[in-house]
Amino acid sequence: MFSLFYGLWEYLVSKTEFHVLILGIDKAGKTTLLEKLKTQYSSLEGLPPDRIVPTVGLNIGRIETANSKLVFWDLGGQSGLRSIWEKYYEEAHAVIFVVDASCPSRFEDSKSALEKVLRHEDLQGAPLLVLANKQDHGDAVSAEELARYLDLKKLDERAYTFEGVSGYDGTGIKEIVNWLVDVMERSKRTEMLRVRAGVANSSGA
Amino acid sequence: MGLVFTRLFSSLFGNKEARILVLGLDNAGKTTILYRLQMGEVVSTIPTIGFNVETVQYNNIKFQVWDLGGQTSIRPYWRCYFPNTQAIIYVVDSSDTERLVIAKEEFHAILEEDELKGAVVLIFANKQDLPGALDDAAVTESLELHKIKNRQWSIFKTSAIKGEGLFEGLDWLSNTLKSGGG
Repeated sequence: MFSLFYGLWEYLVSKTEFHVLILGIDKAGKTTLLEKLKTQYSSLEGLPPDRIVPTVGLNIGRIETANSKLVFWDLGGQSGLRSIWEKYYEEAHAVIFVVDASCPSRFEDSKSALEKVLRHEDLQGAPLLVLANKQDHGDAVSAEELARYLDLKKLDERAYTFEGVSGYDGTGIKEIVNWLVDVMERSKRTEMLRVRAGVANSSGA
Repeated sequence: MGLVFTRLFSSLFGNKEARILVLGLDNAGKTTILYRLQMGEVVSTIPTIGFNVETVQYNNIKFQVWDLGGQTSIRPYWRCYFPNTQAIIYVVDSSDTERLVIAKEEFHAILEEDELKGAVVLIFANKQDLPGALDDAAVTESLELHKIKNRQWSIFKTSAIKGEGLFEGLDWLSNTLKSGGG
């Protein structure tokens, strides 16, 4: 009897766990963003920007908000390593795509990488957050300008937005976490992943 | 009282200790890596039966590095060393393409171990100085590193003989352990 109530209690207070992919070409600032998220939302002190080295693999950040848990997967962005991105798509609830807004010469590279991400069927319906990062640089373009540069087609099938942030000084971090939690809680994809996990569990039992 | 000061002192000046296991098939270069890290020299080695252990001080972290013999018959003993391990360095001979499948299987078997659940994983794609050595992306693919979803990992191209890539790997390791790891 006790365990029944305990189970119910667990169910009521348990937080949903969301997986968020952080993608983008090399030098976009993905890991700096991740470390900032850790600093602002968890008890862990993230690494200061000057200690961050290019990622060749996977960094993970776990944070908690009022009613959900977020697990961020930050994957290396060098062109030879982008082939592993898609291996993480199936389990992702949402995607953050980071762009260095102060470096227009690489917008084209970002655009083609992002278009490839969006074409992948394993990411169907996943909410997309495109970040015009490095707003602390004076010459960074705004989120609206970046949206014009990237000129993405066929976005209507998913929730998406463009935001200007700085992983360096933390500008915009709160807003993006709020946006993510909000859309992920309501998205069809979350429902789909939950059903799939449920099916996997019951068939495994 | 003295103890309190000692603790305060070491937390201020960050002399963390970490227990690291160096694993991999036989002839991957584990012992050469260990002594390259510890003494900065290439030593001539013989196949390790049992283990070598050395302390390497780097970036304010004292790494206690265990290099365990990699031959098939003694791999089952690796698990005796698993408790209290913060990180695994998995060494692969990138030029031994025939045995990469075995390297992959051993690697994923290690990751299944409960006692290593919290350990972060650093992969050394070693022997980059040899002709035909696969690069980091190809080794990532062969080892199926993408199956790792609940812990941090990183891969570095290394040549223990030339001393390349090893300390870059330790940089990553010390950063990751400091920022909470796992």
